[in-house]
Amino acid sequence: MHLRNFILFSNIDSFRFALGVVPSEGLQANNEDGLLSLVAKGDGQAMKKCIDQYGPLVWSIVCRRISERNDAEETCQEIFTEVWQKAESYKPSVARESTFIGLIARRRAIDWQRKQNRLPLLTDLESISEASAATPLAGINLDRELLWKALEQLPKKTRELFTLHFVKGMTHEEIVQETGLPLGTIKTKLRRGLIDARKFLKDFTPEEASKR
Amino acid sequence: MSATGTYDRFEELDAGRVLGDLSIDEVKEWKELAPKQQSENSGEFDWIGAELELRNSEPCPLSSSLITRLNDTIPVFTNKSVSKPSSSNIISIIPWLGWAAAACLLAFFNLPSGDGVQNVSAELAQAKAELSDKAKTITDLESAKQELAKLNENLSGELATESGKIDALNTQIAKLTEKLPLLQKFESLIQDDSDTQRLEFASASDPYKGLSGEVIWNDEKQEGYMSLENLAVNDPTQNQYQLWIVDPERDELPVDGGVFDITEKDGKQIIPIRNALAINKPVAFVITLEQPGGVVKSKQEVVVALAKS
Repeated sequence: MHLRNFILFSNIDSFRFALGVVPSEGLQANNEDGLLSLVAKGDGQAMKKCIDQYGPLVWSIVCRRISERNDAEETCQEIFTEVWQKAESYKPSVARESTFIGLIARRRAIDWQRKQNRLPLLTDLESISEASAATPLAGINLDRELLWKALEQLPKKTRELFTLHFVKGMTHEEIVQETGLPLGTIKTKLRRGLIDARKFLKDFTPEEASKR
Repeated sequence: MSATGTYDRFEELDAGRVLGDLSIDEVKEWKELAPKQQSENSGEFDWIGAELELRNSEPCPLSSSLITRLNDTIPVFTNKSVSKPSSSNIISIIPWLGWAAAACLLAFFNLPSGDGVQNVSAELAQAKAELSDKAKTITDLESAKQELAKLNENLSGELATESGKIDALNTQIAKLTEKLPLLQKFESLIQDDSDTQRLEFASASDPYKGLSGEVIWNDEKQEGYMSLENLAVNDPTQNQYQLWIVDPERDELPVDGGVFDITEKDGKQIIPIRNALAINKPVAFVITLEQPGGVVKSKQEVVVALAKS
């Protein structure tokens, strides 16, 4: 391969990842080995690795909600700045590093959407340190498999709205245009869905989940 | 509202917070309820929201320019005395890298490598967006350039007009400067000598109806001037004005007072009298239109103006 192709990727892992040699999930799972604790100590190399490892994930979340390229890049910078600032508050017992960073990225990306509508920003309501200080979800440590199973308990319409909001990154106004549903209905169903998802998740034990 | 009702309301608002759909009023309500209702479970919606967000997120490789931009912030990250890197500390994108990335992606896109192609497609989409941004910037710059050219053209036109006005003013100033000594002599002759004669001109024929002016003469100094207004400009190659001084004590024939031209239509013209012979007691001054260079004896075919005591 020509050398010029190589400059697109910051390291061999991301290069291999781009070629599809390494599955994305595997790459993340294998490397979640305490980078944030090093970042919390001001380790510049760890921060670089953090950007290499989670940058593509952050960029994916950002691009889902922010259409302006320059704004997307600035938001990406803000996200990693916040990751650096909040790294000390990260607790491996509560969530994975990718979830911690994904939470920050999601909040910043939504804030960009809210800023366009002149609404108060989420980042002003609560700091990530407060959220990460919470104990893990009772007895399950936010098991992804259990969460997916819990989601299956939600009504089909709610799951469809979840897809539009979480997967496609649509604002409620965009979902109104997509589905034709009233804004109030969408708002209520999404909120109710999130509340129910937490309830189902709490009700689940791994044994119960395997039975279902 | 009961305690359960308040909790349910807070739970709904908290879910709205994570979904990013709180209105301004709901934000206020959330802030009021949060201090009492927040518990150890408060972050759960955040984590669930993040997991749902991540569930279908296909990592999208960063462009080299963004990697550079992010990596350039690392020195700021590691400086613990700085709470947040400012944009001024961040090195901007090196412009050509975007084009290089696009070229590389084009080459890379041709490789038949399964999932890699999908990822490269994402890179290509980014590069296209980057190219689109640059194309827009170029269009904007070209538009601005055209605007500037138009502005420049307008300014040049205005500058030429103003320059023309300045030239005209300079010409006027030069003419006035030229006239000034004559005006001073004219005024001086009127004010300083009591025996200066002062006679008013009247037009002597219809073509010169609007003419006005006066003539002053001082016998002792043998000096005099005409002040004329609204006298037609003459073409010196065709004809010239000539002044005649009538002095019966000297001769029955009028004495030649000099040939002169009117070069400007507007304003007062001061013409010095150039009498060929000494004048004693002039009783009248006559202006005629003669052939170029004047004549020795006027036939008075065209009498322009007359001033008499």
